[in-house]
Amino acid sequence: MAERNVDELKKIRDVVSQDLLGGRIDLLLGWEKGHYWWQSRPLFAAREEDLEKLTWDSFCAVNLSRYLLEELKDHQKVGVLVKGCDSRAFNRLLQDNMVKREQVILYGLPCPGMLDYKLIVHYAEAEPVGIVEQNGQVVIKTAAGEKTADRQQLLMEKCRGCLYPDPVVYDQLLLEPQGVKEVEERFKSIEELESLSDEERYAYWEKELSRCLRCYACRQACPYCSCRECFVEQENPRWQGRAYQPSENFMFHLIRAYHGVGRCIDCGECQRACPVDIPLQELNRKLIKDINELYGHYEAGLDNETEPPLLTYRPDDPAAFSEK
Amino acid sequence: MPRTGVFICHCGTNIAGTVDIEKTVKASRSFPGVVHADDYRYLCSEMGQDIIKNAIKDNNLDRVVVGTCSPRMHEQTFRKAASEAGLNPYMVEVANIREHCSWVHRNMDEATPKAVALVRAAAAKAALNDPLEAPAIEVEKRALVIGGGIAGIQTALDIAEAGYVVDLVEREPSIGGRMAQLEKTFPTLDCSACILTPKMVEAAQHPNINLITYSEVEEVKGFVGQFDVKIRQKARSIDPVKCTGCGICYEKCPAKAPSEFEMGRAKRKAIYVPFPQAVPNIPVIDRENCLYFKKGRCQICAKECPPQAVDYEQQDEILERRYGVIVVATGFDQLDPSIYGEYGYGQHPDILTGLEFERLFNASGPTAGKVVRLSDGKPPKKVVFIQCVGSRDKARGMNYCSKICCMYTAKQALLLKEKLPDAKSYVFYIDVRTAGKGYEEFQRRAAEEYDVAYLRGQVGKIFPENDYLVVRGVDSLSGKTIEINADMVVLAAAAIARSDATELGRIVGINSDSYKFFNEAHPKLKPVETHTAGIFIAGACQAPKDIPDTVAQAGAAAVKAIGLLSKELLKGEACTAEVNQAECSGCLYCEAVCPYNAINPVEIEERYHGGTLQRTVAEVNPSLCQGCGSCTVICRSGSINLRGFTNEQILAEVDAICLQR
Repeated sequence: MAERNVDELKKIRDVVSQDLLGGRIDLLLGWEKGHYWWQSRPLFAAREEDLEKLTWDSFCAVNLSRYLLEELKDHQKVGVLVKGCDSRAFNRLLQDNMVKREQVILYGLPCPGMLDYKLIVHYAEAEPVGIVEQNGQVVIKTAAGEKTADRQQLLMEKCRGCLYPDPVVYDQLLLEPQGVKEVEERFKSIEELESLSDEERYAYWEKELSRCLRCYACRQACPYCSCRECFVEQENPRWQGRAYQPSENFMFHLIRAYHGVGRCIDCGECQRACPVDIPLQELNRKLIKDINELYGHYEAGLDNETEPPLLTYRPDDPAAFSEK
Repeated sequence: MPRTGVFICHCGTNIAGTVDIEKTVKASRSFPGVVHADDYRYLCSEMGQDIIKNAIKDNNLDRVVVGTCSPRMHEQTFRKAASEAGLNPYMVEVANIREHCSWVHRNMDEATPKAVALVRAAAAKAALNDPLEAPAIEVEKRALVIGGGIAGIQTALDIAEAGYVVDLVEREPSIGGRMAQLEKTFPTLDCSACILTPKMVEAAQHPNINLITYSEVEEVKGFVGQFDVKIRQKARSIDPVKCTGCGICYEKCPAKAPSEFEMGRAKRKAIYVPFPQAVPNIPVIDRENCLYFKKGRCQICAKECPPQAVDYEQQDEILERRYGVIVVATGFDQLDPSIYGEYGYGQHPDILTGLEFERLFNASGPTAGKVVRLSDGKPPKKVVFIQCVGSRDKARGMNYCSKICCMYTAKQALLLKEKLPDAKSYVFYIDVRTAGKGYEEFQRRAAEEYDVAYLRGQVGKIFPENDYLVVRGVDSLSGKTIEINADMVVLAAAAIARSDATELGRIVGINSDSYKFFNEAHPKLKPVETHTAGIFIAGACQAPKDIPDTVAQAGAAAVKAIGLLSKELLKGEACTAEVNQAECSGCLYCEAVCPYNAINPVEIEERYHGGTLQRTVAEVNPSLCQGCGSCTVICRSGSINLRGFTNEQILAEVDAICLQR
């Protein structure tokens, strides 16, 4: 009950079927419908019948590039459907030497932004049973009738600040590109947080992070977290205490955020994956803002050639500790 | 269980004055693994070292903690003592309780607990220390000297005389530097060219010296014993083998440009040698100003050149060479005094800097050796010299004294009187500084026998009136305002670091002070060494200097260089990085940040689902690694450890400081 565009799906299916059946790829990473109509989960298609499950709707938020880390161990050539953020995640992995370009075929899908089920419920003020999209409007169907909302208002947090809805790297672009978006409000919440006093900021994060279950879903979903052994699991030395208390939660999230300095592509998968809604993108965006202010504007994942700021030295780099 | 011995040094009263030694020793006895603790007035003395050696033997110690001064001072001393007693030198841990503690605190109540904490941390780290072995490094028996002024020439000659090959790189078309621009030299009034030219020729003809002029160092990689250097030899547009140095080309060249050698106060041709005694005596085409390169026509030099040595097609060349040592001798610049609006420099042709005025005495200078006004060619009657223009000026210039101005001003005033007996010199000074052999006598002679008027005071304004310059100042001794109608004004502009010194420092890997002069390793005991092993400095690139000091320092730098070159093998770095390849993800960020190219990707095979999987991981070449630790901090998964500073060791220190009270 959440199909957006039947023609688009047909076009995608035609192209990937040809490649999978023709042997150009031996696995396709796409999406299929999950248990609920408002869920689309990763699809690992290796055979023709798998492709019948393929879907492309407003709930295909999951970043598929992240699955390449495992799938490339068992497959020679993998096809991946990539939205804008997924393609930047691919660049992240490429730059981190985690994937080989020649082992992957990227099918680019310019993305209108994905919808947030929680917002749909909030708007409907009743149990939604499905949606119909037309002309930038979303008609939410409930037992009590229909409700229409502006599509932009139902977007996921990770899509609201999206600057690059079009894939930045692909072998084949399957849909019409949308162009770079202007987002004025990208750092608005960060500026608000920065304006708080140290105590207020600490209280804010203590409250948010106290919910953390340390399930590490954020890490598992994240394209910049590609270590074979994460610091939190290391025994020798043991960086991360095991206790469930705010200080240990701080330790995990701050170190993880710092591991993403100049590397985070701002795809928001951490926040989307978080089962307790911790605003993790704020941590990452704060560091993106800092990097931009310190080393000039830098967008991670746009290409594979520009070196991350912390991997390069320029004589004019700011040196906060120098005497002059 | 480790058997650690702790030794606390009083350092006279340096430490004992602010740290309660007895308390610190007592506390040390309770630290985990510590089986012996002692103190002594001067641990670095023979006696002090014997105390450590004997304690190692008597108590069967397997590691040592010394609470002393900075490891930069005496770590080597204690490591040596430990190895003489049969311990691996890397089992010694220094707790810096002087620079980091006693020297930065005023009272015992603050300093003592801190000293205890620092020693506790060192003991915690020492408990985890492993024996390490330093690799041996082969020494490339070749020296690079950067800068072909008197400092570079002297250094090159001294190293070459000791039997080692030296490459002398000079940016300008000829060696000679600032000294080549001088007419006479204080205090003996030797003609500068007469004493410098033989040295230039000697350097050019020395079988062990290669002159690489019109060239710049572009890249330095590697480390002491094995510096890999890229030198850009700029295209001279002349075939040096064919050229006979006859000079017809620059006689005929129609294009002119300001001469750098004459401080822009005269013109040179677009094809030129900077000065008549240039070494090598091979011209250079300045492509910015050459008509052929600008507009594609002319080529007169090529047509007129008897041996057909002009080569417009010549390209820059990159020389790649390996050196055991590097000496930096890049000299100084003169401050541009136009920042002082009141002196009117740049507004009037008869207001000169000291170096510009010096050129007027020179037979090949802008006025062929006649001291005349550049405005109308008349000999000056009154010349005013102003001292400390930009020196000793916290507000607008440099804080330091430029050291050479008092003397060259006395010299120039004296020479002026010799050339023009009717001329009168006035010197506005703040202090006259004449420390040096024969300097005071020389300055006195100028003042007393050559009628140079020394006026203590500062000049507030200089402005042109009729055909002279009104110099208005204050005599601070009498409090009176002085006005002199001068024909010329000479500004003793500050000696400053070269504008691109910081950039060169970055390329070579040495640091600069806040004035951009290169830093020596120790102002007293290591005046020509830098903090980078194998790189030395000489001359005015370290601080303003006169010729005697420069030559002496050049000789010192040469001795240090020869000392290294004479060794077959150097001890390398024992504290090198190692990769845990099972944990390494292979992102190779470490390779990107390694300044020594010591990290390379390697393919390893791993078992996977019954088969094997190939993947790329990082590997450290221990003979190239210098233990800087950049890779260990960029590694997110902590898969790289630095021997001697492992994650475990550092965390043990942190825990010892933070978790125990």
